[in-house]
Amino acid sequence: MDLAYLLIADAIGLIVATFVLMYFFFKELLKQKKH
Amino acid sequence: MLELTIYDYMVIVGYFVLLFVIGFVIKRKVHDLNDYFLAGRRLTLPIFVATLVSTWYGGILGVGELSFNYGLVNWLTQGIFWYLVYLFFAFFLANRIRKSNLYTIPDLLERFYDKKSRFLGAIFNFIMVTPAPYVFSMGIIFSIMFGWDLWIGILLGTIVIIFYTIRGGFLGDIYTDVLQFFLMMIGVAMIIPIAVQTYGGFDFLTANLPETHLSLTGGWTVQMILVWGFLAFWTLVDPSFYQRCYAAKDDKMPRKGILISVGFWLLFDICTTFTGMYAAAASNAGVLVVESAATSYISIASALLPPVLMGLFLTGVIATIMSTVDSFTFLGAMNISHDLYKNIFKKDATEKQVMNMTKIGIIITVGFAVVISLFFNSIVTMWYTIGTIGISALIVPILVGFFYKGKKSPLASVLSMVAGSATSLFWLITGYLNLDSWGWPQYIGGFEPLYPGLLASFLVFVFVNIVHMRRMN
Repeated sequence: MDLAYLLIADAIGLIVATFVLMYFFFKELLKQKKH
Repeated sequence: MLELTIYDYMVIVGYFVLLFVIGFVIKRKVHDLNDYFLAGRRLTLPIFVATLVSTWYGGILGVGELSFNYGLVNWLTQGIFWYLVYLFFAFFLANRIRKSNLYTIPDLLERFYDKKSRFLGAIFNFIMVTPAPYVFSMGIIFSIMFGWDLWIGILLGTIVIIFYTIRGGFLGDIYTDVLQFFLMMIGVAMIIPIAVQTYGGFDFLTANLPETHLSLTGGWTVQMILVWGFLAFWTLVDPSFYQRCYAAKDDKMPRKGILISVGFWLLFDICTTFTGMYAAAASNAGVLVVESAATSYISIASALLPPVLMGLFLTGVIATIMSTVDSFTFLGAMNISHDLYKNIFKKDATEKQVMNMTKIGIIITVGFAVVISLFFNSIVTMWYTIGTIGISALIVPILVGFFYKGKKSPLASVLSMVAGSATSLFWLITGYLNLDSWGWPQYIGGFEPLYPGLLASFLVFVFVNIVHMRRMN
């Protein structure tokens, strides 16, 4: 397998992790607003 | 100057508009000094991670230069060494810092030693957080993008930062950091899949790069590699790490937050290192024109990315730099208002006076950084000089304060800071007075200034502590 697949997996992993973190950020933000 | 489409400009302008909007909105959330300095110590885990990751990563142009010129060794020197120190920080310092319930590193020095240590610590702290290298990077990016003179980019970028930092304090800083975090991660990550698709996989890299680019040590000498290893100790005395730990919601969170941040840095560093390597390989293969190593990211991005994505990538690069400038600017301002003004020169200052002094401090810090950046004219030289002097001065008194349980002499702390910084400064100056034919400084005994600085600081501390404590007894 070309090691470049690992590189692509790294980049996609970073994008997914970023969106997950942003999801939790907005979730917390909404929770704070409700209070 | 880059050729950008109207859509790219719209993305970039949209980013600046959002920064202004955050600056306007955030002021309403600031109720007292605790909000202004530490966001009311209510930092949640996602914000902690976003602000730490984005603030700590400002040197994207330097990383581009290293990975373009030397390849994989960039990951060792700018990544792996640092992860080890981050882990040490996470497991042995982070939660303790939060428990101390203080505001700054000089606060800690006063708790460990005395007011004189606070005063000296504040001065070195101020030097360490000068955003000069990043202000300079900002000027470079704007001059590449729009063809402006360096000073115009520096001036406009700093005006935007001053606006939202003065209005929102630390809150303004962290909420803009969240936006900047998102942009820098997405902007940098999207280029790798496109580079692989356009140029090919590892075969393309091995065919067009020298072998050293693909070796983890890059053909560097052990001493060269170790110097970067020692510079990673910067983390242990870095004010932005401490500030975020102080601001965390509870005393368990900083450790968890740093561990998650290490994951982000790891993924991000691999992307930046290989982007630089793809730029070098494409340049060697004759399919990409790269004007300079420092701007190799911009060159490869403009060759590969379509409109809008190019704008997003550039916004990611700007965000990476600006998130560091704003955080460092605010830390410098806190040094002036909290550490010096409130705790040394005017102890009866009211909250309002301290807040006003912080706003003045923001302008002083930025002004100082602009002057320094135009004087030095090199990002790497600035990093190296600031890091060497600051680490030599602060690391011994802080680590001793945390880990040595016996009696500690305040005099030992002060003299160790003076000895460490003076020794490394002396080494730096003599090195720059003796340049070799390539223009590189020749240091006394061939030792990089950080080593004698740390040694002097440590020896002076131990010696003075023993003598002083005996006399006191």
